[in-house]
Amino acid sequence: MTEPILRLRGITKHFGPVKALTDVSLDLEPGKVVALVGDNGAGKSTLVKVMAGAHRPDSGEYLFEGHKVEGATPASVSDMGVQTVYQDLALCNNLDAVQNLFLGREMTGPWWTGFRVTRAHAEKKAKDVLRRMRLDSISLSRNVGAMSGGQRQNIAIARSILWEPKVVLLDEPTAALSHSASEQVGNLVRELASHGLAVLVISHDIHHFVLDNTDRIEVLRLGRNAGSFNSRDVTGEQVVNVMVGGNEAVNMAG
Amino acid sequence: MANTATAPEITLPARRGLTERLGNELRFVPVALGLVALLIFFSFQSDVFLTSRNLNNLLIQSTVTGIIALGLVFVLLTGEIDLSVAATSGVAAVFMAKMVVDTGLPIPLAILLGVGIGMLIGASSARWITLIGVPSFVVTLGVGLLLNGVQLLLLPNTGRYNLLNTGVEKLAATYVSGPAAWALVLVASTLFALIRLTTFRSRRSAGLPASLGGGVILPVAIVGVVLIALLMFLENQRGLPMPVILFIGLLGVMCYIAHETRFGTYLYAIGDNAEAARRAGIKVDRIKITAFAIAGGMAAFGGILSASRILGVSVSSGGGVGGGALLLESIAAAVIGGVSLFGGRGMVIGALFGALIIGTVSNGLNLMGVANEARLIVTGLLLVLAVSIDRGIEKLAGPAG
Ligand SMILES: Nc1ncnc2c1ncn2[C@@H]1O[C@H](COP(=O)(O)OP(=O)(O)O)[C@@H](O)[C@H]1O
Ligand SMILES: [Mg+2]
Repeated sequence: MTEPILRLRGITKHFGPVKALTDVSLDLEPGKVVALVGDNGAGKSTLVKVMAGAHRPDSGEYLFEGHKVEGATPASVSDMGVQTVYQDLALCNNLDAVQNLFLGREMTGPWWTGFRVTRAHAEKKAKDVLRRMRLDSISLSRNVGAMSGGQRQNIAIARSILWEPKVVLLDEPTAALSHSASEQVGNLVRELASHGLAVLVISHDIHHFVLDNTDRIEVLRLGRNAGSFNSRDVTGEQVVNVMVGGNEAVNMAG
Repeated sequence: MANTATAPEITLPARRGLTERLGNELRFVPVALGLVALLIFFSFQSDVFLTSRNLNNLLIQSTVTGIIALGLVFVLLTGEIDLSVAATSGVAAVFMAKMVVDTGLPIPLAILLGVGIGMLIGASSARWITLIGVPSFVVTLGVGLLLNGVQLLLLPNTGRYNLLNTGVEKLAATYVSGPAAWALVLVASTLFALIRLTTFRSRRSAGLPASLGGGVILPVAIVGVVLIALLMFLENQRGLPMPVILFIGLLGVMCYIAHETRFGTYLYAIGDNAEAARRAGIKVDRIKITAFAIAGGMAAFGGILSASRILGVSVSSGGGVGGGALLLESIAAAVIGGVSLFGGRGMVIGALFGALIIGTVSNGLNLMGVANEARLIVTGLLLVLAVSIDRGIEKLAGPAG
C-alpha cells in the first residue's frame, strides 16, 4: 500500500448551526483515483474546499507529504501541488481560455512594463496542454462565457493540470456533461493517476463513472465518514445504500 | 444502452462572429459611430459647430468629466462604484488652492499633494468597503457628503480662493503648437506602435497566428491619423490645449494598465467572478483598493484641472453638494462608453467616447439655442439608449449552449 500524499484527520467544519463536516478523515494516495460520494448536502464540496484552502476547518489535521499544513490558503495549497476544479468551475466568463488557464499565475514582463502580461508564451503552453488532452477544438481567444458546458468543464480541468500538480481534486466534473463527454473525463482521470497523481473525484454517477474509473469509494453522510469501499469489490446498490443511510457504516477497503 | 445515442459534441467555429467581437474588443465601435453621427448632425444644425475654435472649447469642456470618468472605469470594472469622485475632485482642488494661496507651496508640489489626497481618499473608502463588507455605493455616498463638509471647512470666509495670477491657471491655459506639438504626436504614435509591435513579434516567435496588418498597421494608422487630424484642426487655433494633451496621455496610460498588465486582467476577473479570482490566488481586496485609489487620484487631478480652467475654487467646486451634475455626468460618460455597472465589461477608451458624447450634446444643443432642460433630457435618453444597445449585443454574443 502506497503512503498517502494527502491526509485529513478529524476535520470538523460548521457554518453557524449547519454541521457541514464532523470528524471526517480521508487519505489520497499517488496513482490512485478516489471517489467521494454522498447525498446532496453531505459535505463533499465543503471537504474539497478545506483541502483546497478555500475553507479553514474548525478543527482537524491536514497533512501533505507527511508534514502538517497550517493556515492553508488557495495560493499556498496550489503552490504545494494540489489543484482543484470546483463544481462551479470558477471561470471568469469575460476572459478567454488562455486568461482563465493562467489566472493568478500570469507570465509577465519586468516591473518597468507594469507587469505586462506576456501572452504569447502562455498561449503556446495552453495549446500544448489542450492538444495533449485532445481538446484542440477549443478556441483560445474566445470568452469562455460564450462556450458550451463541456468546453468550460474541459478548460477548468486543463487549468488544474497545467502546473503539473501532485494532487487533483475534481468537484462533480461530469454533472453537466453528456455521456460521451463524461467518458472523456473518466479517461482523463485514469490517465492522470497512471502518471502518479493522486486524484479525488466527486460524482453522483455511481453506476458508471465511479465504478468504471475509480480505485476506492469514500462515502460521506450528513457530514461524517459513512464507509469506504474498494471499487472492484462493490456494487452500485451497496454504495447507494450507505449513501442514503440504509446500512450501518462499513469498511470493506481493508 | 444501445439506443441512447449520444449527440456529437458541437464544435463552435474558431473564428468569432461580429456580435461576439462587438461584445469584447470592438465594444467601443457602436459608441464611436454614435459620436460621429452626433458630430455630423450638429454640423448641419450650426455653422459654428465644426470650427476649430468651437471644437477646441468642446474638447476642453469634456476633459474634466473625461478624466474623472477614466478613473471611475477602474472601480466600475471591479463591480464597485465610487459616488464620491466629484466630491474628491472638489476637496483636492480646494486643498491645492489653499496650499498655493495660503502657504505659498510650489505649484507642482501642491498639485501632487492634491492628487495624493485623492488617492488616499479612494484607498481609505475601499479599505473600509473591503474590511466591513458594506456596499460601495453606501460608503462612498457617505464619504462624498463628508468631503463636501470638509471642502466648506477648507474654504476661507469669502467662500472662494482666487487662482488668477498664481500660476495655477497656466495648467489649463497653456497651448502646445508647432514642432513641439508634432513631436508629441510622434512620440504618442511611436509608443503605441511599439506596444503593438512587441505583441506581434512575441506571437510570431512563439509560432502563433499574428497579423501585421490587422494587429499593428491598422490600429497604429488609425491612432496616428486621429492625432494628426486633431493637431491640424487645432493648429490654426492656438495648438493643442494642455488639458487635452494631459487627457490623451492619461487615457493612453490607463488603456495600457487595463488592457495589457496583470493588474488589468485582475480588474476584469474580479468584476466577473470575484470568488473565482480569490480562489485563483488574486488578492481581491488589494486590487480593489488600488482601483479606488486610481479613481480618487484621477478625480483629484480632474478637479485641479477644472480649478485651473475657471481660475479659482469655491463652494461649487466638485459639482457642489452631493456631486451634482459633475458626478452624474462622470458616471454617465463611463456607462455611455460601454462600461457595465455590474463589473467586468467595458473598455477604458469608453470614458473618452462617453465624455465626448456628453460634451458634444451639451455644446451642440447650446449652439442651436436649445434650453438647458432639453440638454438634460437628451443626455438622459442617450444614456438609456447606449446601455440598451450594449445589453442587446451582449445577449446576442451570450452563451452558445
Ligand atoms: N458557505 C456556506 N455557508 C453556510 N452553509 C454552507 C456553506 N457551504 C455549504 N454549506 C452547507 O453545508 C452543507 C454541506 O454542503 P456541501 O459541502 O455543498 O454538500 P455537497 O457538496 O455534498 O452537496 C449543506 O447543508 C450546505 O447548505
Ligand atoms: Mg457539492
